[in-house]
Amino acid sequence: MSNQEEVKKLEEVDEAKKLVEKLKKCEVEKDEYLNGWKRAKADFINYQKDEAKRFEEAIKFANWDLVRDLITVLDSFDLAIVVLGKEVEKGIYLIRNQLEDVLRKRGLEKIMIPVGQKFDPTLHEAISEVESDKPVGTIIEEVERGYSLNGRVIRPARVKITKSK
Amino acid sequence: MSKIIGIDLGTTYSETAIIEGGAPRILENAEGMRITPSIAAVSKSGEKLVGLLAKRQAITNPKNTIFSVKRLIGRKFTDKEVQHDKKWLPYDIRESSTGGVEVKMGVPGGGDKWYKPEEISAMILAKLKTDAEAKLGEKIEEAVITVPAYFDDSQRQATKTAGEIAGLKVRRILNEPTAAALAYGLNKKKDERIVVYDFGGGTFDVSVLEVGDDTVEVKATGGDTHLGGDDFDKKIIEYLVNEYKKLEGVDLAKDALALQRLKEAAERAKHELSTAFETEINLPYITSDAAGPRHFLMKFNRSKLEELVGDLINHSVKILDQTIKEASFAVKDINEIILVGGQTRMPAMQDAVKKYFGKEPHKNLNPDEVVALGAAIQAGILQGEVKDILLLDVTPLSLGIETLGGVFTKLIEKNTTIPTAKSQVFSTAADNQTSVEIHVLQGEREMASDNKTLARFMLDGLPPAPRGMPQVEVIFDIDANGILNVSAKDKATNRSQSVRVEATTALSKEEVEKLKQEAVVHADEDRRKKELVEARNQAENLIYATEKSLKDAADPSTGSGQGKVPADIKEAVNKKVDALKSVKDGQDLSAIKSAISELSAELQKIGKEMYKSGSEDKEDKKEA
Repeated sequence: MSNQEEVKKLEEVDEAKKLVEKLKKCEVEKDEYLNGWKRAKADFINYQKDEAKRFEEAIKFANWDLVRDLITVLDSFDLAIVVLGKEVEKGIYLIRNQLEDVLRKRGLEKIMIPVGQKFDPTLHEAISEVESDKPVGTIIEEVERGYSLNGRVIRPARVKITKSK
Repeated sequence: MSKIIGIDLGTTYSETAIIEGGAPRILENAEGMRITPSIAAVSKSGEKLVGLLAKRQAITNPKNTIFSVKRLIGRKFTDKEVQHDKKWLPYDIRESSTGGVEVKMGVPGGGDKWYKPEEISAMILAKLKTDAEAKLGEKIEEAVITVPAYFDDSQRQATKTAGEIAGLKVRRILNEPTAAALAYGLNKKKDERIVVYDFGGGTFDVSVLEVGDDTVEVKATGGDTHLGGDDFDKKIIEYLVNEYKKLEGVDLAKDALALQRLKEAAERAKHELSTAFETEINLPYITSDAAGPRHFLMKFNRSKLEELVGDLINHSVKILDQTIKEASFAVKDINEIILVGGQTRMPAMQDAVKKYFGKEPHKNLNPDEVVALGAAIQAGILQGEVKDILLLDVTPLSLGIETLGGVFTKLIEKNTTIPTAKSQVFSTAADNQTSVEIHVLQGEREMASDNKTLARFMLDGLPPAPRGMPQVEVIFDIDANGILNVSAKDKATNRSQSVRVEATTALSKEEVEKLKQEAVVHADEDRRKKELVEARNQAENLIYATEKSLKDAADPSTGSGQGKVPADIKEAVNKKVDALKSVKDGQDLSAIKSAISELSAELQKIGKEMYKSGSEDKEDKKEA
């Protein structure tokens, strides 16, 4: 082989080596980019799913503030009915029930307190204690009604509970 | 790798946030709330309660309900603050064997148990951790927790210990004001000085920060650990109770339920007065006495509120001034001001701070959440998420084309993340127009001439058609390098033309800011100009349509015939057309608008007339 041919051959080997290097680099980059792209796509799809879930929640509880404010109106009716007793016009009862009905259709439920129920902070808020013969921590009076909206407590029932004598 | 959460462990409330897709987000707790009361208790039945549930039994169980434990954590029993707080905190506090503080929570049925403050904080942190895990559906093992800038080593160490007891590896104890600065992205503004004015529920803190190369240094701190939004509530209730006593002679403070209702109403009123000027507190049947039921009805306005709490606000500004002096700065040295804490929503407070500095404070993030959000950002940095995400650019300015009357119609709004593509269909402005010019522009102003021209090109060969008929689709496509391709295609012939604009993002930050500022400054004037052009366009359309329908009505080939429109109406319409023509190129917007509506009204008469004669036609046919 002449000198010249040898040089040429060496140059070709060099060239091939360079190309292999370049190819390797490209493959690494390709993987990196493809992974990045997949990740971005997955992130986006997940985001869409989360967003849909959040949207659902948002709709379910969109009325939260409004309902909470309207509960105070319901309270006022209840107070009026208690204070006025038999003097209350039947129409007032009907208006009260109408309001409650509207709210019930939107998911509002009264927190029921059976006789002898123990105080439970997930549903009740204790505002005072009264001496009694009943077991300690029993609810003896509901001072203000509690409500839940679509299964979540929107206002705990305000109650008086017993303490030992 | 599991996520790191950011926690704002507050004196009265705590919050949790996390980085998601590169942005911080507050996590709701198990009760669906964004904030969790920093309260722990052992109930009378022996249950451990934390957060809202602990709060709900606090009144009847004051000895075993621990709140404000942040006031005690990491302190020595002999500290002045501990001795002061000991007097008003309802639970028992004693000195621990090491000179620290211990608080008592009783165990029902026997024995007392003494806890270190960090154990109480750990209960709160454990709840935040559990709730975050439930929300995210994955295990949480690490956290960034914030503390006030004035916390010393011992207080920081105790907070860290609390995290560890709760099963969290505390990756960093972060200063609350630094977190706030992070939330606003101010940590990158080298050499800037930042003041954080944090008016919370129970405490008031001022911090002066200086941003260095990689660090945010606290230069001075000040505050009042017993001044907060709760004091505002107290002042309001006090006022309402006194007023009521004066007016009705009844002391509501003696009726627990009445006071409770009044408290809630007062808080609501306070919030309302941040946006409204006046509110009404209406509590029917608030109480009753021998004379029968009593109602509470009182107007309450913003100036009264400001009068009640004015002293407290002034006091806070005094502290602000002292703290800045302690940092050896002058007011003019301060570059940025951040408002933190729910009470800073009050306009009078914002005004007081603004007046003191002579510049607008940052307040667009929720002031209750800004510290937690900053903690999440720090967590994201530690986690690498913030770095890991592929950085995508945004177009700094809007891009669009010029449309009829020299209006700039935006196709891609500013701050749109690129790469992106948008298309819109446009049409011709004149009959038999065979070419359209696409004038590509960049900027925020309403009129084309006020924006920067990027390119112009013609699309010709449109088949002759009445104006508004041809459909030319214009597509803007920006690639990740900010190179814009604009193409226009006639949908009928599929002829298309395009242009490539390099470097749409090659403007410097200052230039972009300047252009945006100009748009703000000229907003009103631009809007008026645009309205004028739009009215002119509307006028031209109406004139065109009127003349066309008059022509059609007179043209026997269209099926209707001459005479359908009575001459008098036609004349009246023409008069209105002339009137509109005479004003449409003027500057008087209202004149153009009224001329348009007058012509429209007149036109309706033609419609009516044509309809009438049309139905007469039918009648005729019927008869025939």
